[in-house]
Amino acid sequence: MSLSRKCVPFTPFDGEVSRATVAIVSAGGVHLREQEPFNIADELGDLSFRVIPADADTSQLMVTHHHYDHRDADEDINVVFPLDILRELKDEGFVRAVASKHVGYMGYTMQLKAMYEGTAPQIANEIDKGSRADAVILTGG
Amino acid sequence: MRGIPTVLITVSPEVSAQMRPPRALYPKGFKIGNSLGRPGMRELQKQVLRDALSLLAEDTRPGAVVTREYPDYGEQYDPPSVKSKG
Repeated sequence: MSLSRKCVPFTPFDGEVSRATVAIVSAGGVHLREQEPFNIADELGDLSFRVIPADADTSQLMVTHHHYDHRDADEDINVVFPLDILRELKDEGFVRAVASKHVGYMGYTMQLKAMYEGTAPQIANEIDKGSRADAVILTGG
Repeated sequence: MRGIPTVLITVSPEVSAQMRPPRALYPKGFKIGNSLGRPGMRELQKQVLRDALSLLAEDTRPGAVVTREYPDYGEQYDPPSVKSKG
């Protein structure tokens, strides 16, 4: 695979975790019920993503993804999208803050180049601009 | 470009390692769809997230996946393996 030959895009983390503002980016197909579901009918995969605000009601988060068994996430979204857990870690002082924006997308695509060159930098920009995140937790399904 | 530090929580460590993530945690034996644990296991879920976030400040090797064990998870599952190239 050509991707694996590239350098690891390692960004150093300066400081302490207890002073970090953290965002979640999940490939688990997570979105708010009021947002457009991912298009699972497209066999090539859906390259779009959904921005989830910091104050999202997690009971309103759901999964649209047909490449993993998400029944456990349907019961407790935190098993793939740990927003409630992150809030608790903030209350405990383990992290400083929950970022103002998080992202869900459907981590299945036959369009790797478009995902790598299009969706991924768009998500990075979305987090970089205005989420105030110092660090990002990535999850899959 | 500044970049943002990331930590991946993966339940498919072999598959994820191919992409050489900057930092990654594999909670050993967790099945796909249970990245943080099982539904309602809040203390376990919190420990997994704490461990993942702690990797930010640890001296990890970029591209490597760190494996941790969480006996409270219960029944363990084998992760998907990478198919050998023909």
